[in-house]
Amino acid sequence: MPNNKGTLQIRNLSKSFIVDNNPLQILNDINLTVHSGAFVTIVGSSGCGKTTLLRIMLGLENHYTGEALIDGKQIIGPGSDRGIVFQDHRLLPWLTVGENVAFGLDKLKRKEKKLLVDEHLKLVGLNGFESAYPSQLSGGMAQRVAIARALASKPEILLLDEPLGALDALTRMYMQQELERLWLLEKITMIMVTHDIDEAIYLSDKVVIMSSRPGVIKKIIDVPLSRPRDRASSDFTRIKAEILEEFHLGTEYPFAYAI
Amino acid sequence: MKRFAFNKKTKAILGVFAFPIVLIGLWQLFILAGFSSARFLPPPYKVLQKFVILFSEPTYSHHIAVSLQRVMIGFFIGTLAGFLFGLLMGLSKTAEKIFAPFFHAIRQVPMIGWIPLIIMWFGMNELPRVLIISVAAFYPITLNTFSGVRNVPREYLELASVYGFKGLTLIKKIIIPAALPSIATGISLGLAMSWSVLMVAEIFIQTALGVGTQIQRGRDRFDIALVIAGIITVGVLGYAMTVLVQKIVQAVERGRVISTEK
Repeated sequence: MPNNKGTLQIRNLSKSFIVDNNPLQILNDINLTVHSGAFVTIVGSSGCGKTTLLRIMLGLENHYTGEALIDGKQIIGPGSDRGIVFQDHRLLPWLTVGENVAFGLDKLKRKEKKLLVDEHLKLVGLNGFESAYPSQLSGGMAQRVAIARALASKPEILLLDEPLGALDALTRMYMQQELERLWLLEKITMIMVTHDIDEAIYLSDKVVIMSSRPGVIKKIIDVPLSRPRDRASSDFTRIKAEILEEFHLGTEYPFAYAI
Repeated sequence: MKRFAFNKKTKAILGVFAFPIVLIGLWQLFILAGFSSARFLPPPYKVLQKFVILFSEPTYSHHIAVSLQRVMIGFFIGTLAGFLFGLLMGLSKTAEKIFAPFFHAIRQVPMIGWIPLIIMWFGMNELPRVLIISVAAFYPITLNTFSGVRNVPREYLELASVYGFKGLTLIKKIIIPAALPSIATGISLGLAMSWSVLMVAEIFIQTALGVGTQIQRGRDRFDIALVIAGIITVGVLGYAMTVLVQKIVQAVERGRVISTEK
């Protein structure tokens, strides 16, 4: 790694919401370190607090106990050191693709902006689309634009909140390859929330398994496979079985995901 | 291909005129059947004749120009004020709590209810006429701007906060563009309201110039042809303005919802 930026540390983090005047524990004593340049995936059933955890990393949730640090500094609010890709592409329909990519680049001069937009559209394979509108794009293309927008402000950590969840299976697998390519190229930390176990194994160095009520980290599984990974290899399926075991979904339900 | 398009256009134009032509025919039949004396309902050609006379002298175009100008000034003031007020109430829950009940109460008073007060305060001047027109535009524009601003998708606001946009930047980059379709609806409703209260303003706050004045003059002289000509003028001009505004709104919308074929 060229630098050591983009290290995330979560220490003894707990969070609860107030529901009907009663506190409801969402996250309980989360401890997690993501090293600079790593690809870490958080999987878990819905309601396990994985999205809340990601929102804390992003700086949108500020009321919790414990610590959330980036490069040793406490997270206070969103910042340009972190980028985000949501499940919905969240492109602004009144802006062109190019203007959407430039959305966070307000402070730059027009020329620098254009350079960054061109560079990042090329990076996601959408050069020539800058004057198109989001409504003209397919779901996969729109999500690439969202990735380009997040990367254009040069974050140290890219947070991905089920970014491929709304895509069809084939586009999804193709986009997984694309994400891996971008990660290798940009050499930044990526933290992704997903409920697709194959996707998690395909992409990550570490898979963080969370369970719900309250949300705790159940297990962290290393994925020591070489890249690009073969989804059909025995090592891949072995790790998948190991993860499914954690969800009490042994081999009798080989098709099932966590729901 | 081209012939097809021409046919469609001809059909559309025929569609617009079909019903009025039928109506004029019935009107003529009504008179031919002797149901009405010419004094109370002049035949259609008398009204046409009236139009020819009216437009042959420059004064009628001048009346129309004065009315149009009056509406435009009132509408512009009402739009600006309504936009700002709607924006304020949309952005701030406190402002909504303070102003909304008052706004909704005062909105219940029909424009004609204000006339006596406004005449006593301002006299028979241009100011109260324009004021009434602007207030009429103000209501729908305020309401639609308010709801547009309030209903900006939460997802867009979250995106803005991720990029640290606050205050004026947030308003300029997210809130106004997201609320624009609703604001545009308010503007076209506002224009329709302005145009319809123009008659109230011109007939009740007497003046020398304006289409409404002509209708009033027709009444004073028992010139029903003139009254009908005035009413047709108001209807046609109002319709033309509505179509124009619709075209503008469509142009605004086109910027965001582009067809996928290009």
